[in-house]
Amino acid sequence: MTKNSTDKPVTSTSGIELKPYYTAADIPEQHKQHVDVAPGEAPFHRGFHASGYRSKPWRIFQLSGFGKPEDENERIKFLLKSGETGFIMEHDRNTADHCYNVNHPEVVARREDVGLTGAVMQSIRDTAICMDGLPVDTSFGHAGGAVVQHAPFALAAYWTVAKQRGFDLRTLSGTGQSDFNLTYLGCVTKEQIPTDAGLRFNADIIEFCAEFLPRWVPVSIAGYNAADTGLTPDQELGVLFANAVEYLDEIKRRGNMSLVQAAQGCGGVSFRASIHIIEEACKMRAARFMWSQLLRERYDISDPKVGNLRIHCVTAGSKMTYQQPFNNIVRGTAMALGAILGGVQSLGVSGYDEALSIPSEHAHQMSIRIQQILQEETGIADVTDPLGGSFYVETLTAKLIEKAWAFFESIQKQGGYLAALDSGWLHAQAGENQYQEFMKTESGDQKIIGVNCFRDDESPFEVDGFMGTDDAFDVATERLNDVLRTRHEVGAARALKQLEADCRSDKNIMPVMMDALAAEVTLGEIGDVYRDVFGNWNTPIQT
Amino acid sequence: MENSQKRILMAKTGLDGHWRGPTIVARALRDAGFEVIMIGMANTDDIVSAAVDEDVDLVGLNIGGHIDVAIRAIKRVQEARPGLPIFAGGTIPPHAAKQLQALGVEVYPPGSQLADIVDAAERLTGTK
Repeated sequence: MTKNSTDKPVTSTSGIELKPYYTAADIPEQHKQHVDVAPGEAPFHRGFHASGYRSKPWRIFQLSGFGKPEDENERIKFLLKSGETGFIMEHDRNTADHCYNVNHPEVVARREDVGLTGAVMQSIRDTAICMDGLPVDTSFGHAGGAVVQHAPFALAAYWTVAKQRGFDLRTLSGTGQSDFNLTYLGCVTKEQIPTDAGLRFNADIIEFCAEFLPRWVPVSIAGYNAADTGLTPDQELGVLFANAVEYLDEIKRRGNMSLVQAAQGCGGVSFRASIHIIEEACKMRAARFMWSQLLRERYDISDPKVGNLRIHCVTAGSKMTYQQPFNNIVRGTAMALGAILGGVQSLGVSGYDEALSIPSEHAHQMSIRIQQILQEETGIADVTDPLGGSFYVETLTAKLIEKAWAFFESIQKQGGYLAALDSGWLHAQAGENQYQEFMKTESGDQKIIGVNCFRDDESPFEVDGFMGTDDAFDVATERLNDVLRTRHEVGAARALKQLEADCRSDKNIMPVMMDALAAEVTLGEIGDVYRDVFGNWNTPIQT
Repeated sequence: MENSQKRILMAKTGLDGHWRGPTIVARALRDAGFEVIMIGMANTDDIVSAAVDEDVDLVGLNIGGHIDVAIRAIKRVQEARPGLPIFAGGTIPPHAAKQLQALGVEVYPPGSQLADIVDAAERLTGTK
């Protein structure tokens, strides 16, 4: 916010000019009819359910993982003991995102990096260690598979281990990720299957879950990485629904399942919660409104159970500063507050050491404590949609909806979401925004406490980066060799061959992926099949 | 000496594809007149051969992972091109920043000003 002089226009992050105060006359005409609709009723901007957090507190859901699978398991148990109400299994980015085994030359060249961003899981033996003693039957689990090409492996590994432990897949609740905005926009890997193959994988997962895992969110359509890489809140909304449309249109084209069921599966989305508290709260309200509008107008779906969007949120990692890291506890609280005022169902708060490293145990626990204090002490959870009816909030919600649909349309003009990724159009939008945002802090127009002003730091506490464990690479190498030596080789070879055949056909790849995991086929072998069958995405930007 | 006569190699040492930081820095350096050669995610061999083949005047490393990976690349560049200046940015925690500084590498963690980075590039390449 800029407020050095009263003549200078003040704008939201989305570039919407803000007035000093609002009155009823400011609320756009087309939005007035919706202001007084109760939460839990279409168009749902006022909330998922009338009783809101009274009947169901938001889920405390933190990204977690590092080192060996047993290190990750221990950290997840620590978080659950600290009050986390779901759990997330992060996989090592070097191996997982690229579908490499740990002996791949690009991984060996960076061996010390291995395990720094999640546990190395190359076969179901590793996944079984990571899941040891975790409450997969009673808790909401995130199996990993953030990056599109990795998701079928991560999901099949989790489900196969759960099955081997005697759990019925139909009762498992949890979520996949297969995040297009992460994979193809925000965090572009060195090698990745092309976007059309990625779309096919996600449609396969959606159809497979509909048949075998009705309580599982198959893929998470997520705006977080689009936003953290530079898109503004209105653009984050627009790109998320452009992504959703791409999935739903594909499911419709394939004609293997009901569109209503697919929409229900896709209706668990994920956003970034950034630091403009009111605009972020309005963004969550706008998202629910837009989803219900989209289903009604584009797909003729008006079932309120389907049109009611569920939202997971993660606070903006890029807002966490390297300087004076304890200030980030306040930033985490402010961002969480915006999400909660917007009525999200699930929340992760970035660690205060986010700009230095993956979270230490202490930083991780603080992220949970922030949420618990908000949940239990502040009264914020007592009344649903506490901002509803505010002249300002209703106006900003309506303006965001309008701007977001305009961005959605400009993506369609590029030939659709996949085309806008393939051409680099979305990257160019994000790149320009991030540069402008950076220049605002550079000029001091946007103040960042401890970074471009108030730089004197008298904190007696030193925060350094948490570096995990130093044996992840060696242990992963030993375990890989062990699997390759002791598995039933004929079964593994047969499953791998079938996987390749199914990848080349238009069959759903998930059944054969389950067989491959049960036969102890490893991640890198699966990645080699992908590279052979699908080739690599032609990355539109030089990172 | 003009900035436009100087070439800067930029590479990421890790296999993590977040591109926000390095692209902003590259743009600022280009705006200041430098020629920037970005090779993205690169291993030690890639970085050393680019530093030699491209005859660069400065190397910029984006470091997002373990500092030992970066240190290996830095030592190899210093062997192959003695005296070639190197600066680094990224999520480099304080203990790792000290290790880099001990090798003569200037460190610009998150929150650094672009003006300071451009200034360093001019100083390190001798245009200022």
